[in-house]
Amino acid sequence: MSLKMEKSLLVKIIALVCALVLACLAGIEFYDHRHTKETVVAAEGLTEMHMLSEWVPSLKGTFGDTPVFFFDSGVEGGTILYVGGTHPYEPAASLSAYVLLENIKVEKGRAIVIPQANRSATTTGMLGNAYPSFYEVETDWGTVKFKNGDRWANPLDSWPDPFTYVHYPSNVSLTYQDIRNVNRCYPGRPDGSLIERVCFGIMEIIRNEKVDMAIDSHEAAVMYPVVETYVAHDRALDMAMMASMSLSAEKFYMKCEASPKNLRGLSHREWGDFSDTLAVLMETPQPFTDWIVGPMTPTLQTEGKDEFLDTAAKHGLTYVDYNDDFGSPIRYRVGRHLSGAQEVISWMNQMMPEKEVLVSWPTYEELMEKDCGYFLHDPAKADPSRVFDI
Amino acid sequence: MVFLQNVIYYIYMAFAAISGFFLVKQLFKREKHKGIVNDIIYAYCIIPFLLRILQIK
Repeated sequence: MSLKMEKSLLVKIIALVCALVLACLAGIEFYDHRHTKETVVAAEGLTEMHMLSEWVPSLKGTFGDTPVFFFDSGVEGGTILYVGGTHPYEPAASLSAYVLLENIKVEKGRAIVIPQANRSATTTGMLGNAYPSFYEVETDWGTVKFKNGDRWANPLDSWPDPFTYVHYPSNVSLTYQDIRNVNRCYPGRPDGSLIERVCFGIMEIIRNEKVDMAIDSHEAAVMYPVVETYVAHDRALDMAMMASMSLSAEKFYMKCEASPKNLRGLSHREWGDFSDTLAVLMETPQPFTDWIVGPMTPTLQTEGKDEFLDTAAKHGLTYVDYNDDFGSPIRYRVGRHLSGAQEVISWMNQMMPEKEVLVSWPTYEELMEKDCGYFLHDPAKADPSRVFDI
Repeated sequence: MVFLQNVIYYIYMAFAAISGFFLVKQLFKREKHKGIVNDIIYAYCIIPFLLRILQIK
């Protein structure tokens, strides 16, 4: 072998080894994100924990399978469903579900909680956005790590995407990756794609468990019009409107919008159209998903302070008030969700007393005073039968 | 339907493996563009296929 050929081979081997080293470095981080689990301690009132695959057996053993927690007071009343993690890159939604299910008290009726509706999307980050994989919450017993996920299910679990995603059953054409978006696949179907099956499972829970009110929690960019708002299905519009007025008068600004009839696949539309439930979606302001913010850091996720967004707000370019002195901390966003849910349930109780659900969990004021970590319990000291890895 | 999707999924996985294999082959044995820059590009392009086959990303 000539010296030139030997040198060329050496360069190729070095290039391959360098690539493998890079693949290892990146791979360790990606593997960690995919397989890390979040630990939750369910409240004492937990009566049952099921997996979504019990409603859609083909989900068993996949990353689409996710826990469903039941809290039954034993007193006849209505049933509510709280869903977090529809879009795991909006983590105040799943964190609010965790705080809720660790502290819930049900005096009448039943509460069902699905903290990670799109569990597959918790296993990957947003492509190209340099998102940190995790953010941290401080508690009295240590620092707890939670995942920043993606809007769409992990391509490792649902691949390839179609060129155009045709929504079932409306036949409306949507962007291709929305076949992996839980909030575009309702009502789903039992033999569809992974996320269509996840959505079908959630619909089956709503129908079979006769859920009276179903609440889907989300977060939105401050420069996006649908922020700090309820979006309610026709039948839930009155109570969401009343809740928005009372919240805006007493606690925090909250708008209310009617679910558009032609916007297909979304929870606030399809939950109501394909079941008897009262469907409500909630949005909090999350600077992390704005397009103009500076470095995407875990602190931006938890504190929500950004000088570029502050400048935009001063020029009237945001849809809600914003300043970087306060930002939009995660305790504020979780508190908004928890009180937002309580308020709309309270209006359902007043308007439909036969569906009354008496339920409580930490409020906006408590979250603002004590922060999220105060309400999370130490798994090491908890009854193991109430500790779950999600 | 679910079965068919699984079949398509594994076909795509096989494509990823074949693409990765040909990238390695092209890295070591190719007739054109024999420069060092192309060596680096071929080596770098193997990463996503490798991570996909290993079910990491």
